[in-house]
Amino acid sequence: MKRVLLALLSLLLVAGLAVTASEAGKLLIWADDTRSPIMLEVATQFTQTYGVEVTIQEVGFGDMRGQLATAGPAGEGPDILIGAHDWLGELVLNGLVEPIILEPATIADFNAVAIDAWSWGNQLYGVPYATENVALIRNKALIPDVPATFEDLLDIAEGLTDLEAGKYGFLIQQPDPFHTFALHTAGGGYIFGTDEDGVLDPCDLGLDNEGSIAGAILLDEMVKRGIEIAGAGYAEVTGAFNAGNLGAMIGGPWTLSDIKAAGIDYGVSAIPTIDGNAPGVFVGVQGFMLSAFSENKVLANLFIKDFLISSEVMLSLYIMGDRPPAYLPALAFLAGNEDIQGFAAAAATAVPMPKIAEMGSVWSAWSSALELIVNQEQDPTTAMQDAAAQIRSLLGCE
Amino acid sequence: MYSKHTMLGSIWRHGLILMLCAFSIFPVLWIASASFNATNDMSQQQLIPLKPTFQHYRDLFTSERYNYPLWLWNSLKITIITATFTVVLAGLGAYSFSRFRFKGRRVGLLGLLLIQMFPQMLAMVAIFLLILSLGDIFPWAGLNTHTAIILVYLGGAMGFNTWLMKGYFDTIPRSLEESAKVDGASPFQAFYKIVLPLARPILATIFILSFISTYSELILASILLRSNDMFTLPVGMSLLISDQYGRRWGLFAAGALIAMLPFLIVFIISQKSLVSGLTRGSVKE
Amino acid sequence: MTGRFLLKRATKILLLGLLCAVAVYVFIVLVGKGMYIPSAMPLIGAGLITYISLSEKRYPLRWLLPGLIFLAVMVVYPIGYTFVSSFTNVGTGHMLSKQQAVDQLLDRSYAPPNATTYSYQAYQNEDGDLALVLSSETETILYANDEATSISSTDPRLIDSDGDGAPDRFGDFSRLSIPQVVQLLSTLETYRINFDGTVIGLKDLSTWATRAQLYAYDEASSSMTDLQTGIVYTAVEGIFTAADGTEIYPGYKVGVGLRNYINLIRDPNVSGPFARVFVWTFVFATLTLLLNFTLGLGTAILLNDPHLRMRTLYRVVMVIPYALPAFITILVWRGMLNQHFGVINKMLVGAAGGIDYAINWIAVNVFGTNAVLFGEVAKIPWLSDGTLAKVSILLLNLWLGYPYMMIICLGALQSIPTSLYEAARVDGARWWQQFWRITLPLLLMPLGPLLVGTFAFNFNNFTLIWLLTEGRPAIAGAATPAGHTDILISYTYRLAFEGARGNQLGLAAAVATMIFIIVATISAINFRMTGALEELSKNV
Repeated sequence: MKRVLLALLSLLLVAGLAVTASEAGKLLIWADDTRSPIMLEVATQFTQTYGVEVTIQEVGFGDMRGQLATAGPAGEGPDILIGAHDWLGELVLNGLVEPIILEPATIADFNAVAIDAWSWGNQLYGVPYATENVALIRNKALIPDVPATFEDLLDIAEGLTDLEAGKYGFLIQQPDPFHTFALHTAGGGYIFGTDEDGVLDPCDLGLDNEGSIAGAILLDEMVKRGIEIAGAGYAEVTGAFNAGNLGAMIGGPWTLSDIKAAGIDYGVSAIPTIDGNAPGVFVGVQGFMLSAFSENKVLANLFIKDFLISSEVMLSLYIMGDRPPAYLPALAFLAGNEDIQGFAAAAATAVPMPKIAEMGSVWSAWSSALELIVNQEQDPTTAMQDAAAQIRSLLGCE
Repeated sequence: MYSKHTMLGSIWRHGLILMLCAFSIFPVLWIASASFNATNDMSQQQLIPLKPTFQHYRDLFTSERYNYPLWLWNSLKITIITATFTVVLAGLGAYSFSRFRFKGRRVGLLGLLLIQMFPQMLAMVAIFLLILSLGDIFPWAGLNTHTAIILVYLGGAMGFNTWLMKGYFDTIPRSLEESAKVDGASPFQAFYKIVLPLARPILATIFILSFISTYSELILASILLRSNDMFTLPVGMSLLISDQYGRRWGLFAAGALIAMLPFLIVFIISQKSLVSGLTRGSVKE
Repeated sequence: MTGRFLLKRATKILLLGLLCAVAVYVFIVLVGKGMYIPSAMPLIGAGLITYISLSEKRYPLRWLLPGLIFLAVMVVYPIGYTFVSSFTNVGTGHMLSKQQAVDQLLDRSYAPPNATTYSYQAYQNEDGDLALVLSSETETILYANDEATSISSTDPRLIDSDGDGAPDRFGDFSRLSIPQVVQLLSTLETYRINFDGTVIGLKDLSTWATRAQLYAYDEASSSMTDLQTGIVYTAVEGIFTAADGTEIYPGYKVGVGLRNYINLIRDPNVSGPFARVFVWTFVFATLTLLLNFTLGLGTAILLNDPHLRMRTLYRVVMVIPYALPAFITILVWRGMLNQHFGVINKMLVGAAGGIDYAINWIAVNVFGTNAVLFGEVAKIPWLSDGTLAKVSILLLNLWLGYPYMMIICLGALQSIPTSLYEAARVDGARWWQQFWRITLPLLLMPLGPLLVGTFAFNFNNFTLIWLLTEGRPAIAGAATPAGHTDILISYTYRLAFEGARGNQLGLAAAVATMIFIIVATISAINFRMTGALEELSKNV
């Protein structure tokens, strides 16, 4: 009996100290693994200048929204967090983030698409720092020149594909609507239409219009020709590319560090025209947000405006994450960088990822359609129409 | 039940077991191979890496951002404490259910079982808020403390464990305790001095089961533990693969293999307690 | 002897008294926070504990007390909380409590048309009190001791002792440097300076500005009025909505009664693939149970054999799948089962090729013809074909779960007295008779409920399905996104989290409750059928 009591006492000693969150006078920043190293450096500078303690807590990118939703209102959330612009719908509706006021001169220093992506109802809810979109990444050893049209690319790919030997010509990771979007847009496909004020209309669904279906048919053709295979997800596609077994893929800037590490001679270019039309891609913008439950809003604003918005910090973020900066002065530094130019070319016709909360219903249905096409279980037209019907019924549209 | 083996008997037994071992081990060999492989992805690796390297293991222990040794220590600490107390709590409860007849016994047992069937995923929010409030009253047991997470884990101490132990206690004849009572022992003394030693196999079993389920628990730990130095092993390791576009397989594989070792050690040690045969009427084999 | 007894009694009473004191303390703290319902818990709990500890009749319950306390607080309470939230609309747009939402909205401000901005200096005296001097083009304001007074810009208390043109002292307050101000920013931002009918708040590091509150709240009608535009927003189910339908965020959660449940039952989105998903869920849980138990028991019997050498080594090897965290091994299996890139198919293709080569060699050299057994072997679509995906799930669950069965069977086997087997052997029983008549029945008694528990666990085994297949491959032509390997919980959770508008946690809670009712009912029926509870009353 006494032993049990002793054990209980020692339990108390063993308990760690609690680290509280968003305390007045200190800053807590949530960042994922690619961004926290840079934030640590910036944080040290800030602390040296002002003597204010800044803590960087690493939180998984995918977990951040969920954690903020529970922790924020409970007073356990961060002051600043780093995430993607398409989180805004959910975060704003839940009252989890606060608008950030920037001077017009500062706003002009940013990529207009990026600012637009981070705005909601005329207010800016995040300071953008990087734009990301996909482009065509090819292995120059296997495909020396940029293919002129998509058809050319497919022909080259068919020649390169040898399934027995594990060699592939061109792969788009599946089922992945984000990477496949280009095929749909070339013919005029879109997800949500906009009304006269430029506001997204969830019930104007374009996934089953002619252009989108044409894209699906194109994917189906790729499968039938043996170019696209089932089971090729992100890991498989990039793995094959980095091993030199893949001619070309559709990928984003996040793939570059592994490609460089693998020593592949690669080239980045816009996705070739499909039937004479330039395909549009999704652009996602990463940025810094201010938690609505922060106890240090002015302090956090100071941190963001005076320390984060600078060419040095924006460039360091680029170096760590390989994503083109949204801050134009930093971007100007990289004018000679081929990769950036390649991604920029692809982004010429970019569409910001819809940030309304309804987008959540779209991804599953669309993924399922793509999967059915790749597995050859449904013809492309029916697959896209089914997906659109599912989404309409989920959203309660007529 | 078991007779000595013939040559043929030995062969088919060992053969069958070896096949099962191969079935169990194969993916683990894969993980081991990934941990020595310089490239960080799984789809292109061969079983025997072309360029074997210890780099991942080195990184695990020297990384500044990922304090793997600390996570390992945190996990072990929490797990051993939880498992020990779980055995205690479940054992006390099981003895009561087994030996005493009281009102609500049947309902209690059934209730214990049915409670476990509620899908726990959404309970996380409730537990978060609960611990948050607890932390306001007792700061040493609030969010981001190990005390809190141990307390939450102990909530699951009763349940299947109690059933398992009760079933085992039921097979221990009461004659031994009865004679002890005649000698003036209290029920607790009878439990402690007579029944427990006889129940070593089941105690070891519950300890093992509780150990592994606590050790690998991810969801609760990631909600309640909020700073790097408090993380347990699963939470820390999930950071390594949480980024959809940047998994570090090699590091992760190395971490997984090392993580496996404590449990195996515990398992081996506990095998001694799984003694074949049981006393019946104090006739020992 | 009596001395010891008295000592034990005294200690017990002392501890109970301590417990009650702590309970009262917690009660007071909780009431102070306004949490009236939870505040009753410690009192009720302490009362129950004291009663049980002191009452002789409740002696058996004392053994259960510690475990039950933890169970009640950590398991039962969250279930209750989830159950209660199933009657609300908590979810995206409705995450906050009403108070929090109102507070947040009331905190919003806008710059009124005649807003003035002030630059300022902050001063601090030795006692740590702050004084702020705000200056605009027309005014200079002193803010100290929570009072704002207008002063002249040439107030004698403003002393510029270092001659740089800016006052660095105010009376006996000295000016704070910028780093010092930054450290105080969070305190400064809470100040609201009332001056001349306006409210001035901190705008950024170097400016204060007049601000006007954006919203006014009317508690009686639960409405927010936008003071800038004059539009009135009334609360409709937790969101402040204007007459024309515009909404302001954040909203808050409100009770919606049984709506979530009614939606679940009536909604065609749910009932569509429901039957199909339910059948697979049931089949999956049952088959998993049968497969895992069979292999686990068989292995346990094999490894329980005292004549078998290297027993411990074998047991350790076989327990390894159980020793690795599931989320790691499931992902590894997912990679291995990949149709084109996975190692299992590569091995199978290689093996088929090898066998073909050998057969051909024999055919050519022995019979003088060519022969081929397998030919071109297609790569098996483990995860992209509906049926094969189900097989993969079962296979993986077997790999993951049979060590657990092995462990508990090994433990339970020890409880069967060897004398029974001796007696049976003497009577001439063969080994399978011994198994069916002795081993199995005596195992099922303690293990029966655990097997039911395994069934329930797998019924809700969200992790496995999600990590291996996410429910895929998709069912063609389904009314809602559903996959061949979707189980009830993954399908319905997906609806709740990817449905109309963000996450619908209230709906998900209703789903959890419904699934609980289904599983508990099945289990309860199982209990009655197997008479497991009958054993309880007969057990002597």
